[in-house]
Amino acid sequence: MAGSNEVNANECKTAVPLNTWVLISNFKVAYNMLRRPDGTFDRNLAEFLDRRVPANASPVNGVASFDLIIDRATNLLVRIYRPVPDPVPETTSIPSFLEDLSRPPSSDPYPVIIFFHGGSFAHSSSNTTIYDALCRRFVSLCGAVVISVNYRRAPEHRYPCAYDDGWTTLKWALTQPWLHSGDPSRLRVFLSGDSSGGNIAHHVAVRAAESGIDIAGNILLNAMFGGNVRTESERRLDGKYFVTLQDRDWYWKAYLPEGADRDHPACNPFGPNGTPLEGLPYTKSLVIVSGLDLTSDRQLAYADWLKKSGHEVKLVYREQATIGFYLLPNTNHFYEVMDEIKSFVTSNC
Amino acid sequence: MKREYPDSGTSSSGEAAPKGKLPASAPPSEEDVDELLAALGYKVRPSEMADVAQKLEQLEMAMGMGTAASTAPVSDDMVFFPETVHYNPSDLSTWLDSMLSELNTPPPPLPAPSMAPPPSVPSFAPAESSSVNFDPNPISQSDPSRERKRMRTGSGSGSCSSSSSSSLGRGGAGTTVGSEVIEPAPVATPGLPVVVVDPQEAGVRLVHALMACAEAVQQDNLKAADALVKQISLLASSQGGAMRKVATYFSEALARRIYQLRPPVGPISDPSTFDSLADLLHMHFYETCPYLKFAHFTANQAILEAFAGCKRVHVIDFGIKQGMQWPALLQALALRPGGPPSFRLTGVGPPQPDNSDALQQVGLKLAQFAHTIRVDFKYRGLVANSLADIEPYMLEDESDDGEPEAVAINSVCELHGLLARPGELDKVYHTVQKVKPKIFTVVEQEANHNSGSFLDRFTEALHYYSTMFDSLEGSNGSPAEPPSPGQTDHVMSELYLGRQIFNIVACEGTDRTERHETLAQWRRRFSLAGFEPVHLGSNAYKQASTLLALFAGGDGYRVEEKDGCLTLGWHTRSLIATSAWRVMAS
Repeated sequence: MAGSNEVNANECKTAVPLNTWVLISNFKVAYNMLRRPDGTFDRNLAEFLDRRVPANASPVNGVASFDLIIDRATNLLVRIYRPVPDPVPETTSIPSFLEDLSRPPSSDPYPVIIFFHGGSFAHSSSNTTIYDALCRRFVSLCGAVVISVNYRRAPEHRYPCAYDDGWTTLKWALTQPWLHSGDPSRLRVFLSGDSSGGNIAHHVAVRAAESGIDIAGNILLNAMFGGNVRTESERRLDGKYFVTLQDRDWYWKAYLPEGADRDHPACNPFGPNGTPLEGLPYTKSLVIVSGLDLTSDRQLAYADWLKKSGHEVKLVYREQATIGFYLLPNTNHFYEVMDEIKSFVTSNC
Repeated sequence: MKREYPDSGTSSSGEAAPKGKLPASAPPSEEDVDELLAALGYKVRPSEMADVAQKLEQLEMAMGMGTAASTAPVSDDMVFFPETVHYNPSDLSTWLDSMLSELNTPPPPLPAPSMAPPPSVPSFAPAESSSVNFDPNPISQSDPSRERKRMRTGSGSGSCSSSSSSSLGRGGAGTTVGSEVIEPAPVATPGLPVVVVDPQEAGVRLVHALMACAEAVQQDNLKAADALVKQISLLASSQGGAMRKVATYFSEALARRIYQLRPPVGPISDPSTFDSLADLLHMHFYETCPYLKFAHFTANQAILEAFAGCKRVHVIDFGIKQGMQWPALLQALALRPGGPPSFRLTGVGPPQPDNSDALQQVGLKLAQFAHTIRVDFKYRGLVANSLADIEPYMLEDESDDGEPEAVAINSVCELHGLLARPGELDKVYHTVQKVKPKIFTVVEQEANHNSGSFLDRFTEALHYYSTMFDSLEGSNGSPAEPPSPGQTDHVMSELYLGRQIFNIVACEGTDRTERHETLAQWRRRFSLAGFEPVHLGSNAYKQASTLLALFAGGDGYRVEEKDGCLTLGWHTRSLIATSAWRVMAS
């Protein structure tokens, strides 16, 4: 139906600034080339097309970063971002890298944000430029140390690899004295992520709650959830704003165990096979939802479920926002949501 | 936080496609691109934004990605562009153009030329005498009188090499421009990519001690430096693995710098002079880890593509060493549709202290190999102390066949040494310009080890070689495994790298030849010298990745694409970069 395609393309284009539209459409087109109907993925082309940036221990806009292998067995790498510490008077201009890099950024309590990048479990890495930029922003915004996890991806590594890598990172952070702050000195850690990263943050938070590990808060940006039964927004928005149900289905099939359907608890934690969260010391959540994301009502239902289970939720619903609004600082959505994140982090640190 | 939005590019309200847009082949420069997208790795001119958007829409339509997608049946022919070679994805406009043009004109059935994994030929051990005559085009058949004309100076020890050493002297006759000092190429945005693989407490203290020692040396506080050197060896001895080895090389180099023994002596002296040890170490480094294999492989791919359709080709290797790069290219040329071209190789190498003609030996072996795969092959060895001693006439095509030669110039880690003497790089650029190659393939270490500040240089090198050494460790397999016979190779490779460390830290002036610079710095130099990039694409990328999976021991190696060049690194740190160039059309 050529006519309605045209109308929809125009709607989508007027919903976001043009350069945002170009960015996200580019991903849409490129990703389409990578997914094969048989469920395999052109990983080589994906890596070739992905735009990346190295870590930089020299501060840029007050933020420095370095990469760290925290688990040799799986080659799990994290990129750590931090505010550059105030220069100690007796040292000269040379940064003593590892010493300075692992000195606490302040004597006051400071947040540590473990971040899981998006990409529907298959795309991107911790050194992908869009995520490097976002993590740097979180550092400046919150005075946080941000740990971006380079988790193993689908379809090569299915459930629960990504969750395991998240868990490994959390456990590792707990062992690092320099990440502990305040009085009493402890790890003031937030779990966050966008898209699949949001899904990972949720599941790692559940595991933390089950293990008695205190998480200061969860920050979810358009967290990725699914289910067998289509929701109203899924039907209404399918293919309208960069995302289709077809591609969502492909990614779930690539991530979930072979033969599983979309009511698997990883995909649908509050569905028929989900585990109740009542009574668990589950953390508080900041749930950010774009109204023009086709799974928006799933995300709203998620927030609802957390509330009904007795857990604190701050819901930020941006009705006119599409996916990826947080990648470019060129809309109200971006700046207002960043403010919400800053509030949430500083008040719960 | 700023509330005003920086110009977010063109507005979305129905802007018409810009008229008179720049030709598709001119990539956006650093200055005239949308800032926000550039920060994320994509270069799009604001004036082209609407046009790029339109191309994206066209592509989406062509790929059937409209709203009906969820109801459309999934079929096998929805796999798009399986044969497409992608280039330079940061330049969105050109990338989209290439895919749109593929949609309009389906690709021809012939597969794109590609490098197979290197053939398993016996590796060429140095200084092995060969008793096999080489033919069918023996170089020694050339007319002796022509030989005399060609060899302006000195006398080669073999009829197939021309010597250009002593009489021409350093820097080439009349090529130095006054007393200009070579400035390291400016670094636009200095960065320090750090990958920590060994975050143990002791390792951190060791790095700190090394840095403090380097700082003391920079400040001429030799007493403090001396004390720190001793502290470092204590700390290093309690350390294990890569960190200990790296620390040892760096502290030895620091010690040498402190005590200023001139000239440097021992096996870790100037790595750029020819000696049989250097050759052996180089060979072991080639065998043990994938960096040089990657270099050869990616350069060969670019050369192969540049030679498509050419019937007579000439490759000039600026550092032939044992000629390990060429069997694979010869093989690929032999297998190409339409058959191989006639192939001429000029191999450049330094003079040998014992006057043996190693260059000739290399040529012999390659000729022998070429013969077995039926590639018409000619070889000339060119002895030179410096690449700057090479004159265009030494490289010219002397045959009187009608068909012109297609020339490729190849340089693997040979250009950085030229930065030690003023004017040498410029002379080489000038010579290359005169030769007008179809392609000039360049591989260099991806690091800035040429900073004017000793401390900056030291810091960069410490992180670079730590990562390098760690990759050697990593490809050993798990530490718990007993050492395998092949592991002596690592000692050789470590010494190979150790010599570079030594040169960077302990030497200065013309002795300091390991003046590595980054891709960004080289890009600037090449651009100023009148060259434009030839992009390496996704096919080379894919094959390099496949090669890594086959030959590299460790899991941490990564190939990356950056602005049309390919790099190989360990985890997120690029360590070696391949780029390709041609003379800018005037």
